[in-house]
Amino acid sequence: MLLLLPLAITWFGAVALAPFDGRRRAVGVVAVGVMVAAFVALVRLGITVWTSGPVEMVAGDWPAGIGIRLRADGLGIAFALISLGVLLAALAYEVLGGVHERSLPSLVLFMSTGLTGVFLTADIFNFYVFFEIAMTASFVLATYGKQVGHLRAALTFMVVNLLGSVVFLAGVASLYHVTGTLDMDGVAERVNGAPTASVLLIAVLIFVAFGLKLGLFPFHSWVPLVYRDTWPAVAAMLSAALANIGSYGLLRFGAGLMPRELSLTASGLIVIGSLGILYGAIQAVSPRTAGEVIAWSSIGQVGYILVALGIGGPVGLTAAVLYSIINSLNKLVLFLAVGLRGWLVGAAFALAAFSVAGVPPSAGFFGKVAIFRAGADADRVPLLVLVVVGGALSLIYLFRIYQRDYWARNHAAPPSPLGARVLVLVLACGIVFIGLWPEPLLALSANAAAALTGGGS
Amino acid sequence: MPEEFRVLAPLVVAALGTAAVAVLGAVRPRLAPPLAVATAALALSATLLMPAGGQVDLPWAPTWGLRLTFAADGLARLYALLATGVGLAVLTYAAGYMPLHAAHEGYPLSRTVRLYSLILLFMTAMLGLVLAQDLIVLIIFWDLTAITSYYLIGYEREQEASRRAALTALLVTGISAILLILAGVLLYTRFGTAQLPDILAQVQAGPFVTATGALIAVAALAKSAQVPLHFWLPQAMVAPTPVSAYLHSAAMVAAGVFLLGRVHPLLALSPGLQNVLLAGGFASMAIGGVLALAQREIKRLLAYSTIAQYGYVVVMLSLGAVEGAAYYILAHALIKSALFMSAGAVTEATGETDLDRLGGLARPLPLLAVGSGLAAAGLAALPLTMGFFKDEVFFAAASERGGLVSVLAVAGAVLSFAYTWRFWGGIFTGRLRSQVQRIPATLTLPVLVLGLLVMLGGIVPDPAASLAAAAGESMAERATPLELAYHLDLHAPTLMAVITWVLGIVAVLTAPRWTAAPRVVARIGERYGPDRGMFMGLVRLTTFSRRSRAFLEVRNLQWRIATVLVAAALVVGATIVLAPPWPTFRVGRLPTSDWPLFLFLLLAALSALVATRSAGRLILVLALSAVGYSLAAVFTFIGAPDVALVALLIETMMTLLLLAVLGLLPIGLARAPAEHEPHPGRRRAVGFITTAFVFVICWGVLSWPAPDAVMARAHLELAPAAHAADVVTAILADFRGLDTLGEITVIAIALLGALTFFVSRRSA
Repeated sequence: MLLLLPLAITWFGAVALAPFDGRRRAVGVVAVGVMVAAFVALVRLGITVWTSGPVEMVAGDWPAGIGIRLRADGLGIAFALISLGVLLAALAYEVLGGVHERSLPSLVLFMSTGLTGVFLTADIFNFYVFFEIAMTASFVLATYGKQVGHLRAALTFMVVNLLGSVVFLAGVASLYHVTGTLDMDGVAERVNGAPTASVLLIAVLIFVAFGLKLGLFPFHSWVPLVYRDTWPAVAAMLSAALANIGSYGLLRFGAGLMPRELSLTASGLIVIGSLGILYGAIQAVSPRTAGEVIAWSSIGQVGYILVALGIGGPVGLTAAVLYSIINSLNKLVLFLAVGLRGWLVGAAFALAAFSVAGVPPSAGFFGKVAIFRAGADADRVPLLVLVVVGGALSLIYLFRIYQRDYWARNHAAPPSPLGARVLVLVLACGIVFIGLWPEPLLALSANAAAALTGGGS
Repeated sequence: MPEEFRVLAPLVVAALGTAAVAVLGAVRPRLAPPLAVATAALALSATLLMPAGGQVDLPWAPTWGLRLTFAADGLARLYALLATGVGLAVLTYAAGYMPLHAAHEGYPLSRTVRLYSLILLFMTAMLGLVLAQDLIVLIIFWDLTAITSYYLIGYEREQEASRRAALTALLVTGISAILLILAGVLLYTRFGTAQLPDILAQVQAGPFVTATGALIAVAALAKSAQVPLHFWLPQAMVAPTPVSAYLHSAAMVAAGVFLLGRVHPLLALSPGLQNVLLAGGFASMAIGGVLALAQREIKRLLAYSTIAQYGYVVVMLSLGAVEGAAYYILAHALIKSALFMSAGAVTEATGETDLDRLGGLARPLPLLAVGSGLAAAGLAALPLTMGFFKDEVFFAAASERGGLVSVLAVAGAVLSFAYTWRFWGGIFTGRLRSQVQRIPATLTLPVLVLGLLVMLGGIVPDPAASLAAAAGESMAERATPLELAYHLDLHAPTLMAVITWVLGIVAVLTAPRWTAAPRVVARIGERYGPDRGMFMGLVRLTTFSRRSRAFLEVRNLQWRIATVLVAAALVVGATIVLAPPWPTFRVGRLPTSDWPLFLFLLLAALSALVATRSAGRLILVLALSAVGYSLAAVFTFIGAPDVALVALLIETMMTLLLLAVLGLLPIGLARAPAEHEPHPGRRRAVGFITTAFVFVICWGVLSWPAPDAVMARAHLELAPAAHAADVVTAILADFRGLDTLGEITVIAIALLGALTFFVSRRSA
């Protein structure tokens, strides 16, 4: 029951709010309230998971392997918490700034259901179903704003990501074909019975699908346009919440279900991730708008996650989880800040930018330290050099655009609604707070990584 | 507990003061200066009360074994005194300076609040840095000093020069700090602890220590503005004078040499590194000294002098004279901040920053001339000032090494002598060339106090010497006594000092004959120096970024899809090459009973081919539905009539729907050619590559015969238990009811989206 609560709250909330006009403030406030309730339920579930191990249930009370199994472990909880938190913040931001479209609150709640479900299911087809709920909601959300630019971005987002969904579905079908089950535990157990070469190809298929969702180089073709042209709050939801499906999927399907294939392709992942770090950072140097710089930056940033996954082991996986969470927070603040004007926002942007560059005291510093640790543990000197170069480039591109946008021409536009600005600054201060007291996040990600390697919960 | 608190007291006071100034100052800007001065005074007294050797150890991030460890050892006490003492002087000065400055620049007083709170934040960071014993904590404070410095340099953000200087400083100190982070993590990973004393106790000579030492040294040298990473400091002089007097002479630049001192046992293990540091120190002395002689702007002259002076310290540290280095830092901090503040006072009094337009100010500003003169005498190492001893410890260290090092040391000191006279003499002697306005006493007083301190330290050298000795002890981890007194016998340091004075006086007297030379060096530096190099590097990087994007990145939807497909194919291809799957690939037989099935598959393939080649949209829709119907037919052959029926239904609906939509589309739109269509050849290539990789994957997966399908079998067996007449119903409504609910939700979302989309379109 505890497990179903976060899902049920958002789902019922979404259904109940669907008929109402979301532009009315009251509807927005109720939606935020529903999200808060779901978040609390998730934290409650998290506490149970952290103290007494994974919680699981099978839908319809069938034995495992027949019905759909839902399961909350450290990894799922970590990703669900960050994603739901991001959606909550983005929704609150829109409500504070004024919602433009009637369906927004309901769609955000549907997206929350989908995302939470993805992270809490232990069935690969059910994973796909929740994934589709989240994707469909985000397809509609991407049109938010309804300017021609928004629509073009939405179309690109939809078409390219549908392709990704098809690829993933093919991967799920193939996994079912070689293992005869959809249950994750069953898949993990029986996949080793199939010849490596076949499973390797399935693994590649799934890697492509999640790489596409995550916006990983070289599957990034949709990212710059979509993150630049969608509405800022939507861009924040897509890049900081929805993209988590990609990193979670890579971790769960790679390290969790197909560890043998993961270790075989580890070097390849590190190479692709490294190329992405460099490519994203170099492309981020020249654009003239903050939105586009951040879009390119995010292509580089997810490269770090892939590299950490490639390094693997407890240290590498912890780094991957930690970096994913921190990256979500950074992207959330950066994209929300892009939509606003005023010096409070400038401060928020700068704090998040320092975090992206790994400059303390910020959460991002610990992300960088974790990646360095993983690299040092694996004795990979070129990787260490690469991370230094990536960090240097991120300082260059972020602070050039920061100075241009917030120092050189801060006076022209009238400041945005105070509530939204304060929210963004509070979120940015949260990043600094994590930098000052990192223990909860470090423990959370260590716990999440342990869920994959079998130790702990 | 009280003792523990006394160690942290300065840090806590400074942090609370920062918050108080920021908050109260935002409400009432007039409160900010007195509050800031009071905070600095409190922090100074708290520093004086710090128990020697006191230590605080609190858990912080146990998951990674990080602890908040702070210790008030000799080194920390020396630097904490500097940070709070000079901070107090500078903030007092700022209270008088900033209102005048704000009036000149024409911005409201409320803006100066930011400066006070940032200076206090910097003080907090500096205190944290010097007290920290945990490497990760130390790095955090290290970067915090760089961040506050960035904002203080960019204080006048409307001005392009400020923005550029701030970015340069951020890049040089920020990027070098990444190296420090790397070094920290390497040490932490290798020794399993982030506690500096534990690490320093374990290090042993070897390539690992040399490498980490080098990384740390780069970060430290960049912070202390040593050649070739010195160029950010002269640019940073665009910041208001209190900032230059505090951060960019006494405190932040001193953090670099502080770090070298903190990890001294580690650096001492690598003689090669020590020699590199020695060379870097001398290079900074030479280039800083020469370029100081070329500057016209008084603050920039002082900035180059700072570069040269920290060169002395780096040389001493690399020679192992840690206690001398500590003394030198103390003396230089007092001297240089006094000189910066007098430069600012002079500019406020005359409105000039250029040496060519200054002169003869001794008469109108006598107290300032005295205070500044005492500090200048210190910089020129004249007797009866702390400066005399600062050069004596330097010469002592140099003469111990002897040979070339001694000669270079004297040469560097002669340069200092010459530019010091150029500064002080140029401002205060000669003809009066400008109008002089009255300046408040708060601008003169701190200079005078620091000047007198410099003199007092020259007459009673013991207190400063014992501070430095204690600092040296905590750097070198051995007793490092330092006794300073005036010797009348002729030992090497005294001799070198005398030579310096003689040569210095000669240099000053012959100045008109050689003034062109430093300017030539400066011009060469402008054209080929590292500053220019970095600027050009950034320009090239931007151009490369723009060009590569124009070349590599795609702009329309078809190509966005194509790149994903091709990238996927490349990954699959690489996998196949590296791990050939051929042995497991099997070619099955095609029994005659499967011929009809095969025919329908062939039909589907042909229809798909037609779809790719169709010109009109109608044919496209029909071809696609032909694919669907053919596949539906396939299901009838493999014993799944129910699936076939569902597929048939869906295909019919889809076809009708698409046709209806086509009917609604304007004719013109339907006939218009798509924009930017990819070249047919490329399109074919993409199609071929995609088909190939999909084919390989399908083959690979299907070659492996399905094992026991446990789930399906269980579903078949349990269907009656689910009270369902057939297994499909049981699966959809019960076993996988959650999925069904999910799919219904998907459709609901799509409907919701479509509905709001069209409703708002209509209303718009």
